[in-house]
Amino acid sequence: MVNIRADGRSCEDYRHMELETDVVSNTSGSARIRLANTDILVGVKAELAIPASDRPDEGRIEFFVDCSANATPKFEGRGGEEFATEISNILSRAYDNQGSLNLKDLCVIPKQQCWVLYVDVMVLECGGNVFDVVSFAVKAALHNTRIPNITVHADDNGRTELELSDDPYDCKRVDVHKTPSIVTVSKIGHFHVVDASMEEEACCLARLMLGITEQSTVTAIKKEGSGSLDPESIYDMMETGKRVGQAVNATLYQKLQEEEKLGPNKRKAGFLG
Amino acid sequence: MQRSKIFVKKTKKGSVLKVVREHYLRDDIWCGSKTCDVCLQQAAILEESPELESNLCRQPHYIVTDTNVVLHQMDILEVPVIKNVIILQTVLEEVRHRSAPAYKRIKDILTIRDKHFYTFTNEHHKDTYVERQPGESANDRNDRAIRMATSWYQEHLDIKIVLVTDDMENKEKAKKDGLTAYTVSEYVKSLSDSPELMDKLALRTSDKTTGGKAKFPEHLPLSEIQRGIKSGNYMQGSFQASRDNYLEANVSVHGSEKFDMVLIQGSHNLNRAVHGDVVAIQLLSESEWSCPSSLVLTETEKEEEEDTPNKENILKEKKSQVPKQPTGKVVGIIKRNWRQYCGILQPSLIKESTKHLFIPTERRIHKIRIETRQAKTLEGQRIIVCIDSWPRNSRYPLGHFVRALGAVGDKATENEVLLLEHDVPHTPFSQSVLSCLPEMPWRITEEDSKRRMDLRHLDICSVDPPGCTDIDDALHCREMDDGNIEVGVHIADVSHFIRPGTAIDKEAAKRGTTVYLIDKRIDMVPELLSSNLCSLRCKEDRLAFSVLWVLSQEAKIIDVKFTKSIICSRASLTYAEAQLIIDDKNRTDAIAKSLRGLNRLAKLLKKQRIESGALTLASPEVRFHIDSETHDPIDVQSKELRDTNSMVEEFMLLANISVAEEIFREFPNCAMLRRHPEPPPSNFEPIIKAAQSKGLQLNVDTGKDLAVSLNDAQLADNPYFNTMLRILTTRCMMQALYFCSGMLPEADFKHYGLATRIYTHFTSPIRRYSDVIVHRLLAVSIGADASYPELTEKKKTHALCFNLNFRHRMAQYAGRASVGLHTQLFFKTRVIDEDGYVLFVRKNALHVLIPKYGLEGMVFLTDEKKRSPFTYDEQESIQRCGDVEIGVFDHVVVQVSIDRSNVQHQKLVLRLVQPEIPGFSVPSSGPPSAKKMKMDTS
Repeated sequence: MVNIRADGRSCEDYRHMELETDVVSNTSGSARIRLANTDILVGVKAELAIPASDRPDEGRIEFFVDCSANATPKFEGRGGEEFATEISNILSRAYDNQGSLNLKDLCVIPKQQCWVLYVDVMVLECGGNVFDVVSFAVKAALHNTRIPNITVHADDNGRTELELSDDPYDCKRVDVHKTPSIVTVSKIGHFHVVDASMEEEACCLARLMLGITEQSTVTAIKKEGSGSLDPESIYDMMETGKRVGQAVNATLYQKLQEEEKLGPNKRKAGFLG
Repeated sequence: MQRSKIFVKKTKKGSVLKVVREHYLRDDIWCGSKTCDVCLQQAAILEESPELESNLCRQPHYIVTDTNVVLHQMDILEVPVIKNVIILQTVLEEVRHRSAPAYKRIKDILTIRDKHFYTFTNEHHKDTYVERQPGESANDRNDRAIRMATSWYQEHLDIKIVLVTDDMENKEKAKKDGLTAYTVSEYVKSLSDSPELMDKLALRTSDKTTGGKAKFPEHLPLSEIQRGIKSGNYMQGSFQASRDNYLEANVSVHGSEKFDMVLIQGSHNLNRAVHGDVVAIQLLSESEWSCPSSLVLTETEKEEEEDTPNKENILKEKKSQVPKQPTGKVVGIIKRNWRQYCGILQPSLIKESTKHLFIPTERRIHKIRIETRQAKTLEGQRIIVCIDSWPRNSRYPLGHFVRALGAVGDKATENEVLLLEHDVPHTPFSQSVLSCLPEMPWRITEEDSKRRMDLRHLDICSVDPPGCTDIDDALHCREMDDGNIEVGVHIADVSHFIRPGTAIDKEAAKRGTTVYLIDKRIDMVPELLSSNLCSLRCKEDRLAFSVLWVLSQEAKIIDVKFTKSIICSRASLTYAEAQLIIDDKNRTDAIAKSLRGLNRLAKLLKKQRIESGALTLASPEVRFHIDSETHDPIDVQSKELRDTNSMVEEFMLLANISVAEEIFREFPNCAMLRRHPEPPPSNFEPIIKAAQSKGLQLNVDTGKDLAVSLNDAQLADNPYFNTMLRILTTRCMMQALYFCSGMLPEADFKHYGLATRIYTHFTSPIRRYSDVIVHRLLAVSIGADASYPELTEKKKTHALCFNLNFRHRMAQYAGRASVGLHTQLFFKTRVIDEDGYVLFVRKNALHVLIPKYGLEGMVFLTDEKKRSPFTYDEQESIQRCGDVEIGVFDHVVVQVSIDRSNVQHQKLVLRLVQPEIPGFSVPSSGPPSAKKMKMDTS
């Protein structure tokens, strides 16, 4: 039978995922996602900095990935570092475009002050398909991010003064409607599947990582693995990725909205759940 | 139950931080009421049946206040009848944030048992904790927390709870929640048993609610001021009102090199700033700069509205020849430094009026408008008043009555006034301080004598002013076999009794110095120490800290040694007695020899000192003879200076310098020293000018030059001229200050007046706390005592120096004020003509010094209609009338009397007698200096 995998999923099925936001109170926004044995925690910190000289009226987003040595035996010692760089690279690439995040919104005073979103990713446990889960968690954490509102006063000499609102509820949000998620499409034999399990990853020779938004825009693409892909299957895999990516982004966004509706009185699971 | 408090804040560096604090809620916080048997109370504070009769609420009730009530109506809360008040934690924390003095006062009330004030930690109680809602301001949240706690109490107890708040919105909301809420004035009015409480109500009016024309420009909000200061548009400084002219003030600008003093003129520019406030000022354009007017202006009794512009015009008169000073205007108040002011009520023109004006004793404070129903009883009393606010449409600040001190002119009252006005702590020593005292009978223990050098065999004696009971220094001197001389200065070992960190130590550090009034001494340490155990009384074994020198016959130091010792003074002499012994050729005993030796050496030391440029300055000092029965002064005498005065002084200086060198060597970072900065040349300008008018040149380039030119400045026809010049020179000097050696470069350690490289205070530990610290430092450096952490911490020492400098200055002012008070009492029954000398010439007055009484005052040259027979020559600083010229240093005869036209406000009045000006000067009432005794009680 076609379209049935070892664990019973179809080729375009994701495994069960658990998502919770606002898990680390010290951050501006945070989220944790657990998918099978993969456990990812993301914290976002918003800090004031000077805008980059080539983009004076924009804020920035920066990714840092840390692989816990406990995540998988491979990460012992400095084993996780290369992997971490790989993740942060693809995240940066996927987010580096005008469409996904409105960085102009993060600018406080052109050329002088802007918000920088430091996205810290912790890979707590590795159970396959880390890239996809990381990107979902980043999206969730950005959705959860609250940036304090700042009013700018300028005096006659053109010098400026920032004033922070004393109301903790007075803050702005990051619109994640168009941010990309990564969908990894793995080629196994003649088929390609999404969300490969550990076993499937083991027998996959080539995979395609796609940064895809809810609007089906591909923002980044990367081929990985020792095997080669002919153009036709690349095209097929991209089509699959777009289809799945659109659905998974939409579902994620919907779930985030649902969670937010629960309000501050929702029962928190934290790391005990 | 755990909640977290989350807030964002901006750090100094400008980054934004999110702060998360854990906050736990509990269910075991008790309500504090004796009527409650639900809570597991450990000590219930609120009474079972509070008795406070209120017309509004006849049942027994407890009071809950909001933050503003605690902040602004403290005088009401402090009244004994107000009891059983619940102070919520929310309120307490907000008060702590907003005002440190208010926080201290409420904390003090909370410790008084009879007041039954209870702090309810509502923020941690599970039923009263409220979380901030989206869109709610911090204030609204706190108000809601207060209402929440009130309604919790209401449900929890059978007793009624009254919420007292001046916030109308809060009151309405409370009513909606079914709570009982009143404003402070509603509530206080309803207390039928205590009508006098109404007077203590703080008058607070916001600019919005009151009508009337705005008389002052608006103050800028703090945020705008801060921005302005950053950008350099505004400057921050402390506001110092002029003593002589209520429409003038100076602002000493903080941290600006270009303008350290900025002049403010005219009520519009002064803009409601009160002496002592920290203000933001804006410089006026250079064309509007002005110079201090030489007018002497006081707020007159019946001032009309249109009067002020006139006066301001006088101020603005063009003075082209005088160099102009940076002038500015007050744009906002950064910090009010209002305190309680002593003064009297100005008699009201309208009978039965409740609005009154209060005249503060401190001349630099404006009159204050207060409301009182007890004007009749307060007439003739000294009272204390507090400023509450100063709205834009009010000429005067608004305030309220705090308490009465006693009758005007009564000596106890007047002493109290001057202690309060100079912030001298004068309450009796607390029990915890007294419990630090050694037990009596005290004697020197074995252990003490083992660790100390026994100097009881030496012929030590003390020389002090008559009547001195706190003897802290004693001296000896003897010839040694090698021809050199051993000299010892022995200082009371106060640090033996005052151990660091004890209650007595803290109290002494706070008081800083003993304050001497004419008829009263406010001790720094309890009397048992100051007049007995530490005082080096004759024929008693006492602990001392000794400095022992070996001096050559030429008074050069060969060796110096410091040691803790035990001494036994042979005699406690007065300066006069010591002088007699020295002069009495027949006396050849050890004491006489010792004194003669000391006297000879002191003269040599003084010569050396003067050669190196030390200044001899003068200040008019007087002694009162006090009637033993009425305690009124009956005669005044200038203090006489004998050889022995300067003998003691020389050795004290020598000891201080030797000790300063020693402690600085041992503790280069944290030694407590005393410096006297060299005054900037501009300070000397007035005396140079004054001397020039008499044809004398003063050279002020160095201390030495100044000393020489002062010595040479003599006028044959005016023997008092030299002394006057020295008095004026004293006023050009900077204040000598304590400082911590680690905070300044060594070059700044200099003591200008004494012309020494380094100096400290070591010789009067009974009456100065600085000396106690120096004793401790010296003891550590010779290994006689253990150190402790605060002693070597330069930040702590620096802070201590700051307090000591403040206390010393205040003690000096209080002392002078006491002299003034006694002078006034002395003239109460007298009208006397006296010789005086002109110190300054003002535009409408002469500033005259009467050496005999050390008295200074103004001779106004204008009559009631503001006309003056004199013309003022500003360039020469001379007043002319016909062919009579009066300038600086000139001799005049003035009539001194008390103006009793206003019973409440008696003041000393000087009138010109000589030179005679027809139609202006008053006839002589007898030869100068003719003493009129008590008999003439007209």
